Amino acid sequence: MPSLFSRSSNRTIRLTLGIVLAAAVGIPILSMIWVRTPAVTGQHSSPPQPIPFDHRIHVTGLQIDCRYCHSSVEHTANAGLPATSVCVPCHSQVWRDGPLFAPVRRSLATGRPIPWQRVNALPDYVYFNHAIHVHKGVGCETCHGRVDRMARVEQAAPLTMSWCLDCHRGPERQIRPVEQVTTMGWRSSRPQAVLGPELARRYGVSALTHCTTCHR
Amino acid sequence: MTNDPRRWWRDLDEALDTPEFREALAREFPAGAAALPEGLTRRSFVRLLGASIALAGIGGCFERPRERILPYVSDQPESTPGLGRHYATSMTLGGYATGLLVESHAGRPTKIEGNPDHPASLGAAGVYEQGSILQLYDPQRARGARIGRAGTGWPDVAALLSPERLEPVVGRRGTGLRLLLEPSASPLVAELLGRVGERYPEAQAHFYSPLDSRESDHASVAAFGRALRPLYSFRSADVVLALDADFLAGLPFSLRYARDFADRRRIAAPTDAMNRLYVVEPGLSVTGGIADHRLRARAVDVEPLARAVLRGVLAIRGGHVLPPAVASAVGDGEPAETPHRGWIEALARDLAAHAGRTIVIAGERQPARVHLIAHLLNAALGNVGRTVRYIDAPILEAGAPSHDLPALIAAMRGGAVRALVVFDGNPLYAAPADLDIAAAFRRVPRTVYLGLYENETARACGTFVPALHYLEAWADGCACDGTASLVQPLLAPLYGGKTEAELMAALLGQPDAAAHALLQDLWRGRLTGSDFAGAWDEALQRGVIAGTAAPDVAPAWRWGDVGSVLEDRPAAREAGLEVVLDQDARVYDGRFANNPWLQELPDPITKLTWGNAALLSPATAAHLGVTAGDLVDLNRGGLTVRVAAFLLPGHGDDSVSLRLGYGRGQGGEAVAEGVGANAYRLLESGMSHFGGLVVSIARGAGGAPLRERLASTQSHWRLEGRPIAMRAALDEYRRNPAFAASENGRVLSLYEPPAGGGDQWAMVIDLATCTGCSACVVACQAENNIPVVGKQGVLDGREMQWLRIDRYFEGNIENPAVLMQPMLCQHCEKAPCEYVCPVSATLHSPDGLNEMVYNRCIGTRFCSNNCPYKVRRFNWFDYNAEIAETERMVKNPDVTVRGRGVMEKCTFCVQRIREAQIAAGIEGAATREVRTACQQACPTRAITFGSLNDTGSDLVRRRAEPRRYAALHELGTEPRVQYLAGITNPNPAMPNDDGGE
Repeated sequence: MPSLFSRSSNRTIRLTLGIVLAAAVGIPILSMIWVRTPAVTGQHSSPPQPIPFDHRIHVTGLQIDCRYCHSSVEHTANAGLPATSVCVPCHSQVWRDGPLFAPVRRSLATGRPIPWQRVNALPDYVYFNHAIHVHKGVGCETCHGRVDRMARVEQAAPLTMSWCLDCHRGPERQIRPVEQVTTMGWRSSRPQAVLGPELARRYGVSALTHCTTCHR
Repeated sequence: MTNDPRRWWRDLDEALDTPEFREALAREFPAGAAALPEGLTRRSFVRLLGASIALAGIGGCFERPRERILPYVSDQPESTPGLGRHYATSMTLGGYATGLLVESHAGRPTKIEGNPDHPASLGAAGVYEQGSILQLYDPQRARGARIGRAGTGWPDVAALLSPERLEPVVGRRGTGLRLLLEPSASPLVAELLGRVGERYPEAQAHFYSPLDSRESDHASVAAFGRALRPLYSFRSADVVLALDADFLAGLPFSLRYARDFADRRRIAAPTDAMNRLYVVEPGLSVTGGIADHRLRARAVDVEPLARAVLRGVLAIRGGHVLPPAVASAVGDGEPAETPHRGWIEALARDLAAHAGRTIVIAGERQPARVHLIAHLLNAALGNVGRTVRYIDAPILEAGAPSHDLPALIAAMRGGAVRALVVFDGNPLYAAPADLDIAAAFRRVPRTVYLGLYENETARACGTFVPALHYLEAWADGCACDGTASLVQPLLAPLYGGKTEAELMAALLGQPDAAAHALLQDLWRGRLTGSDFAGAWDEALQRGVIAGTAAPDVAPAWRWGDVGSVLEDRPAAREAGLEVVLDQDARVYDGRFANNPWLQELPDPITKLTWGNAALLSPATAAHLGVTAGDLVDLNRGGLTVRVAAFLLPGHGDDSVSLRLGYGRGQGGEAVAEGVGANAYRLLESGMSHFGGLVVSIARGAGGAPLRERLASTQSHWRLEGRPIAMRAALDEYRRNPAFAASENGRVLSLYEPPAGGGDQWAMVIDLATCTGCSACVVACQAENNIPVVGKQGVLDGREMQWLRIDRYFEGNIENPAVLMQPMLCQHCEKAPCEYVCPVSATLHSPDGLNEMVYNRCIGTRFCSNNCPYKVRRFNWFDYNAEIAETERMVKNPDVTVRGRGVMEKCTFCVQRIREAQIAAGIEGAATREVRTACQQACPTRAITFGSLNDTGSDLVRRRAEPRRYAALHELGTEPRVQYLAGITNPNPAMPNDDGGE
């Protein structure tokens, strides 16, 4: 009796089974890798802003402290984006009339806010508090990167939960003296392995990894 | 001893151990909780499920939506994003103001708390106050003024009301002008009414509210020649007698009274003294629930009982304390045979033994004679000046004929009224049914209504002006003790509108006068101190105007009038049914009927949500042949209403209670429409809120009784008869202080005990002072963004409140004792829910919290299944997606808004704990005091919260009391929420309590 299936069908079936198995294992693994790539986390993305505000000029060039504009960073959960009026004291004297400054003039004239695009977004079930972090010696740079080198602000960190936990499990690896929080490119003169634990003791920093630290 | 669990029960099925009860016991969720919504078959559900999985997969492929950040244009010193601020204001209800602190985030108020500096609040906030914030955001509030049917603006309405246009209609002296207001104690309203009176000398103002305290005012006018308001000092009272008076929950000053009353009931040690409460009432009120002795009597029988008490007291104290004529008027013509003789004699002896340290308080709905008897009792017992003091009633024209609605209706019918301006209230809905107020409105050529909603009254009025909510308005008010406070707006009007004062100014020809300016003009002359701006700011900041409390008045008795009023006794006691119309503990007089939080709040006693019912005792129901859920027709002298019957253990026999405020008809309030039955249809003018009644069972075409399912939560989340609610009498407690000791202490366990350092959060709830008023439930709902599920949702057992108050009955069905037990997540140290979660979505924090992580939860509901306390709630649907844009504004930004398929439960207000810890971390100090929302709202301070390691704190002190116990202690869950067993203080000389016979 001639066989119902040709000999090559064995190979087809093995191949198919192999593909199905590989897909069953591979698709979840690949998707889990995929969601951690910058394409999904938004790391390094820098959305276009209504005004091409250049941090390089303001931070490096003019040496303006972060807290001049992000004034509530030491007091509240939000670092705070400056009100339009914050631009005015300087910009009533320089760069007043250029077309790039038109949105600021429009905002002042109409009383409507400047619609900035959010760069660092956390999910709504995450309650991040800026104030406690800057008071415990977490530098701006630690999460936001070298803002002083950014022509257009980009998301420096992946902002995934595992990235948060990297620091929360061992905060002494990242903290710096509170006076140096806003310094860009700060380097400790002493090794972090010595300085970190000492600062952690001084500031009362401990590893906080229970869920309600961030999720409420 | 009360440790026998079988003695405690929650509803009739349980007490009688019916098959329905046994079936319900065996279920985790009530029947139907897991059912699909109507109109969705299993097949279509599977189809939708497939589609949503596919869509979810696709959704993940797209980039996250970009959010925008909109900073302010200029710096706003009053608003820092991310920081909540509190502003003082006050809310007026029933004519009197209660001081509040309102939490505001970036310019939107989110939560209402009590103002600790205000005498009517002392930091507590009630159900109405806290619920009122949702009314602010109600999308169904009226949005525009109209004249006739045509929408218009304020200038047109103001022109219509201006003297030039109004004078030709009402006459130069305002003969045809009438104003109808709610009773008010506002100095600004008084001032403007005075100015309107100057402009139109013959115009008249009338005051109407269905819950007006007219009878009380009539009594004091008769007794003292002017309207005085008695104020009680429960802090100094050893024995209290409430004659049909729900003073712990139903009065404008109840928050204060509850605090003072509880301060004398909170006993730290068995040797401490404690007050004793006697209640005579027809239904079962919050006050009745906590009473040591409760006598059930028809409302109409309260008067003869009160007279008997007065006679008894006079017999003991000697007749000389009252003039002989009065004493004889009390006793004359009374039948020698008094029912409940033993009860009354024991009560009279107890009152007399504590003379000078007692309070007798009469209920607002009782006739003036009962109020008079209460005044006489207080005088005879020497309480006046000690526990009872009198002030001039702060309500405008209290006791005057202007509080009489029929006079106004008669004038309207007679055609004498040419223009009527109605300020707030809803008289078309809430007026006595026999007045036919709608016909009277039709006879008035020009009617203007200022209201929050396009309701029944708005429809009957030619001109409508939307009113401002008190959180949007400038105004003022007076507390019960005369303390004045300002009302300041928390945000700009959402939908536009005007205040009472602005409408009155328009009548005076000042259409552009703003309430703020009117208010400042008034108080400029009254605020003490040279610097008005400073004094004004201080008044706003503190929320009270210092030194405005009314002075005491020494009452000057008019004995002659007293005697003649008392002699005018009602017809002899008739047998038969009566109906009692009650203020509702949730919607008040109907003004909060459109408020979903309050509609879904279980009634403190019946645990009914979404509607009212005819409440009657099981004996009366059996006598009438009525079973629970039957629709019955209540007929009071030709006025009828059809409503479902609800059998309430402990309710007085031959009495049917019906709560006011439901059965709202056509109008702009879609939430309220058709919920419950309208009790105002049984309200007669000139009659009190109770009276004779005929009950018949409503039958359908085939003769079968018509029935309705009532959404009561009392039988949800059962606890299988374990010793969960505990209570002892005071003398038992003294004999055996450790009567609850078997229910606390460590249980042998395999699980590791938790680490104990740092903050260790815990809670103690005192069952001796919990009245069940439910303020904590609303506080929790507001603080934690808890959604509402609707009537069908409650019927299906899907209610979401994290904190429920279990109401237990003890003893016989006819007159059981009542015990309230707030039940919330117990934050077990060895939590059964944590062991069964397959995805670790519920875990323990190092500071002793049982954490719930919404973003991890996949909705297996294993945790709820394994929770012995049944305090976990599941989001069966996406309840938060269906709410209006404005209602989203009330959400607390510090708490996640949960989506469908997620389990949730009490978090111990973890957002407040973390906020306090962060603040402490920034200051480098220890964590300051944290107060949970429920604790903060509680009028009796029954809830204490704190850290176990904070020695010297209230929490640690109270946890050391001998009557502490853990619910379901034998399971070894080691709950962090612990209870202090209830203590009652019965009179040993009292014969058996039984209101029946």
